[in-house]
Amino acid sequence: MFKSRLLVLLPVAALALSACGGSDTGSASPAAGGDYTIGVSWNNFNEPRWAKADEPAIKAQLEALGAKYISTDAGSSADQQLTDVENLITQGADALIILAQDGTAIKPAVQSATDQGIPVVAYDRLIEDPAAFYLTFDNVEVGRLQAQAIYELVPEGNYVFIKGNQADANADFLRGGQEEALLAASGCTGPLTPKNPDSGCAIKNVGESYTDNWDPATAQTNMEQFLTQNNNKVDAVVASNDGMAGGVVAALEAQGLAGQVPVSGQDGDAPALNRVALGTQAVDVWKNAFDLGTAAAEIAVQLAGGTAFQDVSITADLGDSAPAAGSDAQSFTTPGGVDVWSIILTPVAITQENLNLPLDAGWITEAELCQGVKAGSVAACP
Amino acid sequence: MSDATTTDVQVDEGDKPQRRSPAGLLRSMELDPRLFGMLIALAVIWIVFNIWSDGTFLTPRNLWNLSVQTAVVGIMATGMVMVIVTRNIDLSVGSMLAVIGMFMALLQAEWLPQWFGFDQPYTWLITLAAGIALGAAIGAFQGSIVAYLGVPAFIVTLGGLLVWRGVAWWMASGRTIAPMDTNFQLLGGGSRGTIGGTWTWVLAGIACVGIVGLLINGRRRRRKFEFTLRPVWADVTIGLVGCTAVIASAWVINSYPMPPGLARKYAEENGIVYPEGGLNIPLGLANPVLILIVVGLIMTFVATRVSFGRYVFAIGGNPEAADLSGIKTRWTIVRVFMVMGILVAIAAAVQTARLNAATSGLGQLAELYTIAAAVIGGTSLAGGIGTIPGAMLGALVAQSLQSGMVLIGVDAPVQDIVVGIVLVVAVALDSLYRRRLK
Amino acid sequence: MTAEAAMSTESLEPLVELRDIRVAFGGVHAVDGVTVDLYPGEVVALVGGNGAGKTTLIKTLSGAHKADSGQILVGGKPATINNPRDAQELGVETIYQTLALADNINAPSNIFLGREVRTRWHTLDDTAMEHASRQLMGRLNPRFRNFTVPVSSLSGGQRQSVAIARAVHFNARILIMDEPTAALGPAETEQVRDLIRQLKKEGIGIFLISHDIHDVFDLSDRISVMLQGKLVGTVNKSDVTMDEVLAMIIAGKRPGEVTEQDIEKLHG
Repeated sequence: MFKSRLLVLLPVAALALSACGGSDTGSASPAAGGDYTIGVSWNNFNEPRWAKADEPAIKAQLEALGAKYISTDAGSSADQQLTDVENLITQGADALIILAQDGTAIKPAVQSATDQGIPVVAYDRLIEDPAAFYLTFDNVEVGRLQAQAIYELVPEGNYVFIKGNQADANADFLRGGQEEALLAASGCTGPLTPKNPDSGCAIKNVGESYTDNWDPATAQTNMEQFLTQNNNKVDAVVASNDGMAGGVVAALEAQGLAGQVPVSGQDGDAPALNRVALGTQAVDVWKNAFDLGTAAAEIAVQLAGGTAFQDVSITADLGDSAPAAGSDAQSFTTPGGVDVWSIILTPVAITQENLNLPLDAGWITEAELCQGVKAGSVAACP
Repeated sequence: MSDATTTDVQVDEGDKPQRRSPAGLLRSMELDPRLFGMLIALAVIWIVFNIWSDGTFLTPRNLWNLSVQTAVVGIMATGMVMVIVTRNIDLSVGSMLAVIGMFMALLQAEWLPQWFGFDQPYTWLITLAAGIALGAAIGAFQGSIVAYLGVPAFIVTLGGLLVWRGVAWWMASGRTIAPMDTNFQLLGGGSRGTIGGTWTWVLAGIACVGIVGLLINGRRRRRKFEFTLRPVWADVTIGLVGCTAVIASAWVINSYPMPPGLARKYAEENGIVYPEGGLNIPLGLANPVLILIVVGLIMTFVATRVSFGRYVFAIGGNPEAADLSGIKTRWTIVRVFMVMGILVAIAAAVQTARLNAATSGLGQLAELYTIAAAVIGGTSLAGGIGTIPGAMLGALVAQSLQSGMVLIGVDAPVQDIVVGIVLVVAVALDSLYRRRLK
Repeated sequence: MTAEAAMSTESLEPLVELRDIRVAFGGVHAVDGVTVDLYPGEVVALVGGNGAGKTTLIKTLSGAHKADSGQILVGGKPATINNPRDAQELGVETIYQTLALADNINAPSNIFLGREVRTRWHTLDDTAMEHASRQLMGRLNPRFRNFTVPVSSLSGGQRQSVAIARAVHFNARILIMDEPTAALGPAETEQVRDLIRQLKKEGIGIFLISHDIHDVFDLSDRISVMLQGKLVGTVNKSDVTMDEVLAMIIAGKRPGEVTEQDIEKLHG
């Protein structure tokens, strides 16, 4: 199917946008940067967060380090991304930051870059290749935090799992983390699948599905079907991201269940944080993308300067996102059994109690966060 | 064989008396055998899913869900029929849905409130009108390139697929826009977006009267011109079957009561004591389905009862002949694309209202599902042949498969495989059928 | 020459006169100063080899192609014909070689295509159109019955009837027929010939373009021969033999100029 494979126009939009943003951090600190050019290959600028946080953060940090930013957008096409990487190399990139559309299909491009002595940072998404330095938030941890938050509210009952796109490894990382946390908390043996109901387990999986393209409308339809199938006897929904959580909440709303059935999400989308404030979404796991971008820029510049993977060490202050394993590069074994060097940042679970975190970081405005929220019902909306 | 232009079909004087074979019976009643075949296929799908899902599929609730889930693609499929009949294609409808949905979302959630504040009574109407205007404009733009510059529609709308998706992203830098205006949300169904049990019965009654009226009017007109009349038993059967189907649908819809959570809230709001066994208030027909039905009726009327529709089919049958007949073929093509754009706007309104959000990723693959619905519904990609009810039924078939598979726990990748296979099989069967006719 | 035809050509005003028509494609003169005319109730055959310019000439009258120069008079008055609709308004109807029917719709819809009968609500009045079609066909081809099926399922002769009915219904005074029997079997050809005689009787003037010399001699009153874009001459059918016409077509010589040698070459 050719869906949005040919979104060739997006780079134009992305470039236009990048041209007018992020130039206000003009403190030219003569750090280790030199005149390096860092190339960033985005897989799909369609998703809200890249333009809003990741790109500005990368650009700001690169500017602070005296390096130059160039970028491409593959528009969700793994093929296009191969070409994009070649283009970045041609344009003289000294190090690459790649947000991979497909962690396997991108390997030839990584190989080609490595052959030319250009180091690669696998940004946010895994590339199954030791030649790429893996920088991400702990996606398994995201899944764990989602499930933990839901479990605290619903320690027993019927769970529905709304997973992401089946072609995206993150979808399974997230689901894995959810499983791990739920099993650990409940003491069940698992696995929690609809076809394998663990008779002794207090948690029952009554519906689980992948969602093509993480599409909210598909998530909504699937949720409607799960509610129908279980005659509304659904006690909790573990949705893997905020867009899909929106679809789930719309389906619950139609049954008068919104606010009664806790729903998880991630990404810190403005409407999702608003839902947390309203009480229709229980938890939103937030990966502070400013911090991820900052770290990526720093790592890329270090690598461009010839630092070996194992010697990479973050100096920037990453606050709550600081890696649990410390600021030095760690070895990480991928699901495919490959050992890669990595730095893995920590996500934060946002509930009604700590809504001030994204508010204070400037991630969301109070107007967005508190739209329709009764004043004083949550601390962040006085 | 019946195409949309032969609604007053009748038995020819020269014909031998109809044999009472199933096909003969159908012919006497002047039903499209292809449409009839599709109804049978749908019945089979429903029954299989019902057995497989331990009787969940054919519950009023699931059928109610199904009707709402079909609305978006169904609305667009009625326009896609017209586009394909003129030997064109529109690959841009999914991206157009995103761009118009995003436009309407921004208009009601960010732009209009700046001037008038949130939840004004006419916000939804202004938003919808502006969305429809945008849809018509995009359609006119693409249609003009196709008609006047002679660029193939495949290319123009493939370009549109890319352009509008990009524009949709660009309009809000990829943000998700939510929530929608309170009144606007009603367009999407949901808990309050239904017409209620009483009105559902009233509509069913009107539809029944309408069916009988059309049959009587048809007989009256044919008698006036002294044409042979359809046998009375055939007309009576059609009337009975049609009326029964309408009443049965209304009954199924009204058998789905308001979910307990909502019923309790309703009871509180109206000062009713919530009884032990729950309140049994039917939700009635959902607004998206009402919109789909109205769109279907209007589009059927346009396709069969006005010159524009006749020209659309003539252009599909023989563009040169249409041209030599003095039909403004180019302008007709532009209008077809405008109609498509308007329908996409309506679908976008339903979709964003239902989701209560707009994202730039809205409507991905919708172009393929829309084309698939039209084609499963008997629309020929060679042009000239297709019906509006067929396309709507095609959309229902495709959605039944998807929703049914979720219900029985089949995951997304397998769903895609099944829908893909069904599309090819449907078209293969249809071409076999056509070949046999010749 | 029949008495009727003689009378019409001598006593009445011509329906159409094409005067000194010129059409060029690039540097090629497809039609080079041709003048022909047509009287009521008369069939004028336009004959000539491939590329002689017959079809191009006639397209200037049917509105499918504009003449570069020359004059068209309809009913004695100069007429401007820019498109098929202009021609139709002047009572000129054309039946194209390719039939120009929309295959997927039925006979009445084709007959009324572009000129539908509407109810007072501006909707299509299919019943009225079918009624009119039945009456029309009763006059033209009483054996025609298939009013409700797409014309793609009709035979060649039936389709030709539809095309002719379509042309005749709107009070055509001038009919252009381009190879009306080319695609038909013998029985169907005879059917169409009957039809043409019928139209003639009704006072309609017909330009008949045909390769079939038998058609031409059977149906026409006068014969205009073209060669390489020029008019060789127009003759009364009763004044000439088939051989003489063939000589005009091939050698471009008028009857008086034909020698025994030419005739022999024709048959050789």
